[in-house]
Amino acid sequence: MSELRAQLQEWREAIAALVPSWLARRWSRWLAGALIVIGIVLPFFFAPASGFLNATIIALAYVVMALGLNVVVGFAGLLDLGYVAFYAFGAYAVGWFGSGFFFNAHIHVLSSALGTAPGIHLNFVLILLCAIGITSVAGTIIGLPTLRLRGDYIAIVTLAFGEIIGVVAVNGTSIHLGGGETLTAGNLGISALDLPYFPGIGNFTLLDLRPWYWLIFVIVLIVLFVNLRLRDSRIGRAWIALREDEIAAVSMGIPLVRTKLMAYAIGAAFGGMSGVFLGAYATTVNASQFAFSFSIFVLAMIIVGGLGSIWGAVLGALLLSYINYYLIPDVLNSLPRTFGLNFDLTQLSFGIFGFLLVLVMVLRPQGLFPERRRRLELTAEIAAEDAQLVEAGTPTAGAA
Amino acid sequence: MTTVAEELGGALEAPALMRVERVTKEFGGLVAVSDVSVDVPTRSIVSLIGPNGAGKTTLFNMLTGLYRPTSGRIVLGERDITRARPDVITGLGVARTFQNIRLFGAMSALENVMIGHHSRMRAGFAGSVLRTPRVRREEREVRERARELLDYVGVRHDAFDRLAVQLSYGDQRRVEIARALAAEPSLLLLDEPTAGMNPQESAALTGFMRRLRDELNLTILLIEHDMKVVMDVSERITVLDHGTKIAEGAPADVRASDRVIEAYLGKQD
Amino acid sequence: MSAITARTSIRASAERPLALLRRYVGRWGLYVALAALPVYYGVHDLSHGYAVGVAHGQPLMRHDLSQLGFNLVEGISNGAIWALIAMGYTLVYGIIELINFAHGDVFTMGSFTAVSFWGTLGLTIGTSTLGLIGGLVLTLIVAMLVCGSLNVLIERVAYRPLRNAPKLAPLITAVGFSFILQNVGLLWQGGSPVGVSDLIQENNAVFHISGVIVHRADVLAVAVMVPLVVLLAWFITSTRPGRAMRATAQDPEAARLMGINVNHTISLTFLIGGMLAGAAGLVYALYETTVWYFQGFEAGLIAFTAAVMGGIGNVRGAVLGGLLIGCIQQLSDSRLGPQWTEAVVFGYLILVMTLQPRGLLGEETREAG
Repeated sequence: MSELRAQLQEWREAIAALVPSWLARRWSRWLAGALIVIGIVLPFFFAPASGFLNATIIALAYVVMALGLNVVVGFAGLLDLGYVAFYAFGAYAVGWFGSGFFFNAHIHVLSSALGTAPGIHLNFVLILLCAIGITSVAGTIIGLPTLRLRGDYIAIVTLAFGEIIGVVAVNGTSIHLGGGETLTAGNLGISALDLPYFPGIGNFTLLDLRPWYWLIFVIVLIVLFVNLRLRDSRIGRAWIALREDEIAAVSMGIPLVRTKLMAYAIGAAFGGMSGVFLGAYATTVNASQFAFSFSIFVLAMIIVGGLGSIWGAVLGALLLSYINYYLIPDVLNSLPRTFGLNFDLTQLSFGIFGFLLVLVMVLRPQGLFPERRRRLELTAEIAAEDAQLVEAGTPTAGAA
Repeated sequence: MTTVAEELGGALEAPALMRVERVTKEFGGLVAVSDVSVDVPTRSIVSLIGPNGAGKTTLFNMLTGLYRPTSGRIVLGERDITRARPDVITGLGVARTFQNIRLFGAMSALENVMIGHHSRMRAGFAGSVLRTPRVRREEREVRERARELLDYVGVRHDAFDRLAVQLSYGDQRRVEIARALAAEPSLLLLDEPTAGMNPQESAALTGFMRRLRDELNLTILLIEHDMKVVMDVSERITVLDHGTKIAEGAPADVRASDRVIEAYLGKQD
Repeated sequence: MSAITARTSIRASAERPLALLRRYVGRWGLYVALAALPVYYGVHDLSHGYAVGVAHGQPLMRHDLSQLGFNLVEGISNGAIWALIAMGYTLVYGIIELINFAHGDVFTMGSFTAVSFWGTLGLTIGTSTLGLIGGLVLTLIVAMLVCGSLNVLIERVAYRPLRNAPKLAPLITAVGFSFILQNVGLLWQGGSPVGVSDLIQENNAVFHISGVIVHRADVLAVAVMVPLVVLLAWFITSTRPGRAMRATAQDPEAARLMGINVNHTISLTFLIGGMLAGAAGLVYALYETTVWYFQGFEAGLIAFTAAVMGGIGNVRGAVLGGLLIGCIQQLSDSRLGPQWTEAVVFGYLILVMTLQPRGLLGEETREAG
């Protein structure tokens, strides 16, 4: 076994020697730069309203969701099954502050809506900030009852909150706010949402998907940046410590309540940001969009990708999103026909998706791109044995 | 090398860093610790011994805020910490190691020690995201300090970035002590630090504890089963049995005490 | 060794007066909250009365507790179905700490199997009573065996390989299997709810308790649940495999060292859980007289909530939780409106978890941390 490892190591070094030093020293930076460039120019290779672009936009929105949930479940180890709540808050932020829904008000701030239109019409960025505020508070409130619960109980309480918010969304038509306005528009949905408007760029339209793409791409970059910074900071370490061993963590001076609530709040904020985007992109906020299956879907993304790993979350989100929204509907639809079969494969989309989940988990339970620890866990036993052999061989201080 | 008895004269006159006053802990119907009082003088090394189940770790857990005493008081310096939260107590200068090593497996040795410094750091959300100069400097300093501590406890440099789960047992124990030291404590609680060590390693640890007291001005309270270590390093020994204190004093006195012998060996007919 | 056991939390109770007060308020407050709904509506019914129809253009009012009684009877019989499913959830969780998201869909398979089987047997409304009883007992056995085997299969394929994997990995395979089973259901009976023959004429009254009618459906649900619960309790306490289940739930390593075949014990647990879900499936089909490929999703959610509310890992707790939620649902449906019921149920769950974090009858079965 060790000869194999030595051989692999040799090959790795040989390949590494081929890479010029200026590239090798900072390869991750170059890779990141390359990916960003690819990301920016990607839309130019597709039609302005292409299905692939649409699927990519949705996938990127899910990347933000996954990164948010990864903070709560991956970093801090708090099993949150009610993440859909923050999607809902984000989307409703657009519904409330970016449409004519609150028709008794008349507030316009840099919006794309006509100046005479009733309702609250804030600029997209302002709505984003509102959503961050709302979801951070909501996340903190949802997190509070879970602080003293053990792992799986946290799951059920957060699930409960998610469901309650879903019910409120559906029945919001009967919650009256005075002046004829209601809290939500239930299953009919708040529609005719303002399209994003940026001074200097103009209005977004539904015909050209490219500005939408770049918008969500920028949001992804921002969220990734914050994530990477947090992970390698004092608070990131505190989350992981709490996740690994809560008792040891508090004994080392980590304040339990504050640290956990921060995880909830920040994770919620990311969910809200993505929710704002998705709400605007769908141009309607419909209570039926907020079901428990959404929370499970995002959870599956980060587990398939590798729990706790930032790039794993990105990978898992892209993968599952593409499979669900692009591969299965578009590709599988046409597959039987190419084989001359008259079978509607979309009837099996559920089952195929489920099968893929089972397959990935059984084959690679630590996820596709796991956190450092899991990856090394496989080699940990070998290294620990090596270390102990070295220890035994070294004379200890004070020995005769 | 001065004997403990000679050192004794000076240490016991010093003011007590921590006073445990008539502390009791009940779990439902079970009384784990009953009416125990201990004074821990500043810059001393005090051992807590007793047969298994005597309540030693329970007492430790109360001192660090993991359990709340059913009755009694715990005072650190001037401050009553009886009902304080564990992280607050750590912030006040109490750090500990655990009987079954509790390192954070997903982190490297270095990161584990850096965690110990959490309560002394000030970086918040905004500072961490923006990496302000102050935060960057703080991270650098904490990382440097962690390396120094790992060095001080005797961990090899190439082990610094190894994940905690990959370290040898001895190194794990050392890292745990370094982590506790990173909290800049004035009182260090060690729970069976020599468990699993051979005589040479135990002797090294004994010397190390004296260095901690002398070089870092630490007060050390330790739970130990290794009598050689206890007799060698302690200035004072407190003996618990079935949750009550049955003896206390200088090592020689405790060793000769009938009650203590009885507790460990059983009654002689 | 004196490791910090799960029996104590980080903020363990201090027996000082204030903390004592908080603890008792917590527990009694919970009981008060649970009793609040029925008590409130009972009082409301007695004082304001409720309408039972119209006579001469005026609503006919009654001032007694029979509507409340009706709510509770319905609640208990509905709850019995949830209890059966919840027991399966809690058994599996108790032994391998897995939330088996596919469990609700096993329940769906139970309903589908039962309906198909009694169709094969040729049971109709016109079948003789004896034939009906015999046929349904046979169907029950078949449904239980099919679901039990299905559950064991899932364990073998999806969970056992992940025994040493990160804790959340089996959760995702459970979700995956849930989707697979839903798809099977979709292909089997289609996407819409399917009507099922009312074999036992479920709405026939069986007897009265002081003015409250108890229907055949109610009797059926309780009549299936009670013997199964008793049987399970006997099995767990008095038989060797049952005790092996308990031992493995408490400490798998120790159980292994004692010579217990942990793999077999776990499979047995899944078998029993599946059988209970199968029984629930049959009862549900007769009770609701419709089946739907998606029924397991909601049922699973409710059953999981019930198991947690009662204290996950605790079988009596699962039964209590199921019955409680059944009653809460009925009261909410008839008094507040079904659109709010889900929120009410989950609101109660949050209340229980806040005031009694271990669940109503919960005890820790594993060392924490």
